[in-house]
Amino acid sequence: MYCVKKWLPACLLVILFNTTGCQGVTDDLTPSDNDKRPTVVSGSTGSQPTQSAPDFTAVDTLNNSRTLSSELALADSVVLYFTMWCPICDSHMSHIRSQLIPEFPNVRFLVIDYVTGSVPASRAAQLANGYASFTVLADSNQALHDTFKGSMGITVVIDGAGIVRMNEYYKDGRKLRETLAALP
Amino acid sequence: MKLTPITTTFLIAGAVFFPGTPAYSASCCGGGSSSSLLLPKASHAMIDTSIDIEQYDGFWNKEGDHINDPPGSDLNQYRLNFAYAHRLASRWQASVIMPYVWNDNQYSGLDTQTNGLGDTRINLWYEAFDDVTCVWKIKKLSDLKPSAYFGATLTLPSGVSPFDDVDNNFDITGRGFYRLDGNILIEKTIYPWSTALLISYGKYFERSINREYGKYVEPYDMNLGDRLLATLSLGYTQFLDSMDTVTYTLAFSHLQEEKAEINGRTDPTSGFEKRSFALTAAYATMARDWVFKATWGHAIDKDGWGENFPTTDVLTLGVSYVLR
Repeated sequence: MYCVKKWLPACLLVILFNTTGCQGVTDDLTPSDNDKRPTVVSGSTGSQPTQSAPDFTAVDTLNNSRTLSSELALADSVVLYFTMWCPICDSHMSHIRSQLIPEFPNVRFLVIDYVTGSVPASRAAQLANGYASFTVLADSNQALHDTFKGSMGITVVIDGAGIVRMNEYYKDGRKLRETLAALP
Repeated sequence: MKLTPITTTFLIAGAVFFPGTPAYSASCCGGGSSSSLLLPKASHAMIDTSIDIEQYDGFWNKEGDHINDPPGSDLNQYRLNFAYAHRLASRWQASVIMPYVWNDNQYSGLDTQTNGLGDTRINLWYEAFDDVTCVWKIKKLSDLKPSAYFGATLTLPSGVSPFDDVDNNFDITGRGFYRLDGNILIEKTIYPWSTALLISYGKYFERSINREYGKYVEPYDMNLGDRLLATLSLGYTQFLDSMDTVTYTLAFSHLQEEKAEINGRTDPTSGFEKRSFALTAAYATMARDWVFKATWGHAIDKDGWGENFPTTDVLTLGVSYVLR
């Protein structure tokens, strides 16, 4: 028992430092403010800001086929929001509905459901979460998810010329508002 | 493997937010009525291990309305908690709690499993009393004196957060922020009854962020909102013929976190609240050296019992060993 009393604290500390020192988790223990964003060639086809967004075709939850080009033809710009119907997503989408859609009536807001897996299930999730008025694209095969490197809360802004102006996590929505306000 | 990510909140809520500490262990009298990892008086150290089995059952939105998960969802998190408490002096004790987290989720027919270390907590407690305050009868005014503990908890972001090099949200087991909590625990036992009030107030430390979900972004500063946890519990201790004890405790907890700030400006989409109940049964040997515990934590899946937070049930099974 003496050995246990003597060495247990030291063993626990060793375990702590060993486990926190691997698997990249030290990134949070020592946060960095270095800008490590990759450089991209402006105008090239891609999903990052200044790149030209690839056109896409997707089915919405009412079984209508929609393309990026057709959506841009009807609006000044397009916003893609990637949802998984989670609390954070709900918070973001509620903020979009109450704050941003009224402020930018000429912007087309499209919600991308990349998790539900089918059009009927996506429609059911849309209605269950109270977003019947939104246009939701059922990204059943995760094509949009892969094309735009989407994930929970990722928000993509594509201007009228098809250029990506923003592709990042929604956070508080301020960056989205600033990006939309800066569009011609 | 192509995964369909589940919400960050789903995955980390239990590991990070669950109001109870992973160890429901002996308090000043021993026997397991407390809701914090605390050494009994006159004890040298304590080892505590517990496993949490947390099942998710929808969430509350920002308006406090309860929303069900999609049909066919089965979202679970399991945590194995290692804890060690050590007496530093007659009135001082310290402890460390390390969780290891497994996420096991089925969402619209997709199965995913991930695991990783959770956020680590280091506690320092001061006991504002010298003698055990548990009494059988009130004979004089001083018998009413409770046990008071004053503590601080430092949370280390040792888990995997959205700001780490993660491919998707299934990897997430922590929040990514340091936090310092101030804790007050007032406890009184007049056998067979006991009651305790735990109040904890925490402040996060602002940090820089240059990556979200594995994607590098324009660096910015972020700080989460202040966090308040209040837990009130009532316990009843039954003495067996062998003088072993079984203590039943019912606790009510309120947890809330204020809105976060991004570059000094309030994030209107953040912040949360949760209210929950917990029922604990703790079996302690006569010597109070072994304590076996089972806790069922339950959140009410109705409107108004939370905001912007998942609704979960948690079953905790644990054992503590006290070294005299």
